[in-house]
Amino acid sequence: MEILVYGTINSVSLALMGLGFAMVYGISRVPNFAHGALYIICGFVTWTLFQIVGLSYFVAIILSLCVNGILGMSMYRFVLIRVRGMSISEIIASYAIGLVILEGLRFGGFRGMTYTLPVFMEGSLMIGGVPVDYHRVVMTIIGVALVAGLWVFTHYTRIGLALQGMAQDERAAMMLGIDSDFMAMVAMGFGAVLAGVAAILILPLGNIVVESGYHVLIMSIAVCIVGGLGSWMGAFFAAFIIGYAQILTVVYIGSHFQMVVAILAIILTLILKPSGLFGQQKELEERV
Amino acid sequence: MKSYRLRVCLSLFVFMALLSGAHAFAEKPIIIGAPLSTAYLYGWDAERGIKLAVDEINAAGGVNVNDKKRPFKVEVIDTRDLEPGVPVSEALMALERLILSKKADFILGGPNRSEAALAAMSLLSKHKKISIVTSGVLTPKYHKMVAEKYEKFKYCFRIHGEAVNLIGEMIANFADLKEKHGLTKVFIMAQDVSHARGAAKVMGKVASSKGFEVTGTEIFPTGTTNFSMALLKVKKTGSQIINIWMDMPESAILLKQWYDLKIPALPFGSTLAAAEQPGFWKATEGKGQYTLCNVVNAGNAPSDATEWTMKFYNAYAKKWGVEPEGLGSSSSYMAVYVLKDAIERAGTLESDKVVTALEQTDMMGVYGRLRFDPKSHQVIAAQDPKDGAVGSILQWQDGKRVVVYPKSIAKGSIQLPPWMK
Repeated sequence: MEILVYGTINSVSLALMGLGFAMVYGISRVPNFAHGALYIICGFVTWTLFQIVGLSYFVAIILSLCVNGILGMSMYRFVLIRVRGMSISEIIASYAIGLVILEGLRFGGFRGMTYTLPVFMEGSLMIGGVPVDYHRVVMTIIGVALVAGLWVFTHYTRIGLALQGMAQDERAAMMLGIDSDFMAMVAMGFGAVLAGVAAILILPLGNIVVESGYHVLIMSIAVCIVGGLGSWMGAFFAAFIIGYAQILTVVYIGSHFQMVVAILAIILTLILKPSGLFGQQKELEERV
Repeated sequence: MKSYRLRVCLSLFVFMALLSGAHAFAEKPIIIGAPLSTAYLYGWDAERGIKLAVDEINAAGGVNVNDKKRPFKVEVIDTRDLEPGVPVSEALMALERLILSKKADFILGGPNRSEAALAAMSLLSKHKKISIVTSGVLTPKYHKMVAEKYEKFKYCFRIHGEAVNLIGEMIANFADLKEKHGLTKVFIMAQDVSHARGAAKVMGKVASSKGFEVTGTEIFPTGTTNFSMALLKVKKTGSQIINIWMDMPESAILLKQWYDLKIPALPFGSTLAAAEQPGFWKATEGKGQYTLCNVVNAGNAPSDATEWTMKFYNAYAKKWGVEPEGLGSSSSYMAVYVLKDAIERAGTLESDKVVTALEQTDMMGVYGRLRFDPKSHQVIAAQDPKDGAVGSILQWQDGKRVVVYPKSIAKGSIQLPPWMK
């Protein structure tokens, strides 16, 4: 039972980390290597608004998500748009932005282990005889609801359908009057907000430290590669595979090897099915 | 007219004072190179300790080298060795830069990670640079290497307690907990780094030999963010003490979850950086209550170990706006005073002569009497500050860091959480 409970929690947490990265890549084909930095900066902005400025926690969260969205869109509008289509340059540029943000935060004094966000609910409950704290339960419910909400958004709203059109065939979408650059910018903003949502849900479990930005980036890349680059639903399922594999590793092999799981999953995917579990477009390219 | 004269006199006085001040430090400064992982607690606390001592010494006239007053100057370089994934070679390059480019006369502080400090020993030997490690380096291998190859590694000193001292102190507390509360089952959790892995192994053996049941040992890679399953193992095995060896920030996740799940085992850590900082209480909204951690030496938490202790504690708090934060604060501060004392006795900066002088060090400091073992260059530890360097174990009680060990300096006793009673 504990494997089921904590496997699900761990998987949803990984899915939250990777969703934003998967969505941006799926729509704009821009590998946003600043994803981890956007995750961390949202945590610090929320902390500043809540602890220093004195806003209510809810208002601080909403404002910091807005800041993240604007930051994501600005990154595309002012930097990434210039290198769009050149994958190596996109990686270098986005990673450089991420480095500037993370190291800038560190240089600005955001170091140490005392930056924390409050949990949504105190206490714990028993699920099938397994103790779980309320915040993890809330995080899991919101995480699943978010995925469901994203599915509805991309299937039933105008912008969502436009984003999907972009993801399927950018040129065809442009012929139908969809502004490719505008939609890519929206996708970047959306991805940044998703990184922020992940931060708001996950960071209260521990503390906000710059180094987590790199960890989040690695985990995001892992779930996206296993799930199939460009498929955010694939990323969601991959998060469950890696999440459960991590928990099973801890239980049956040892905690020592849990970080290896994600890296091993990347290597195995690249050897056995480079397109990933749901990377259909890439798979077609591979066949051709 | 009178006021004009007064102003002229005052100006002349100020001018002369400035001139004499300038003359006091006309001599070349003695450069202290501090290779530290400055973004991490054990790096910046050492930097602050060193700078505080340097400021005090310079304000008091500097270091007397053969009747010439020379000031200390600190050159800090970021080694990043405490950060996950940063190779040891980075720290070595940083150290070499300090020696070759910054012309450091002495090395104080780090590197902080044991692996990096061990690798740096050969480099220090090559350049014949005296180094006193003051923060983070806990592996017993460090002073064993000095003892084994004295001629090669005689330039390396360590002024703080090491893992074996820490284990001894913790075992003494376990024995106390066994006697008073009947706690006998220990679960060990360690970070996958040299000192922690080694300490966990030794702790397992020592605890077993002392009649404790070691119910499990889990090693976590640096950066681990999920401790749920391990905590459930603790609960399932009926463990009563969780012995934690982790300096990674993520250990805060472990401690918060321990509190939320009301795991009936007392968290007792060493190098538990997250719980060492005074801001831990606020950051965990009180969930840090009952957490115990070994902060290696006295002075890193408030106590009256010696006359120096609170003087240092308050001076640190005044200068940096925060109480001494990590396990490297008091030792880094004292290293500068010990070095000053050795240089003055040697009357030169020549490495071999200062090594001899350091071996003869015998002075009182923040955490007791400071002497180095002449063969291994490890500071001599003791239970009483009159005899040697004393350790310090604190417990978070109602928002305060209360020293509970050793008894000679304790300010309170260990409390158990209500769900353990």
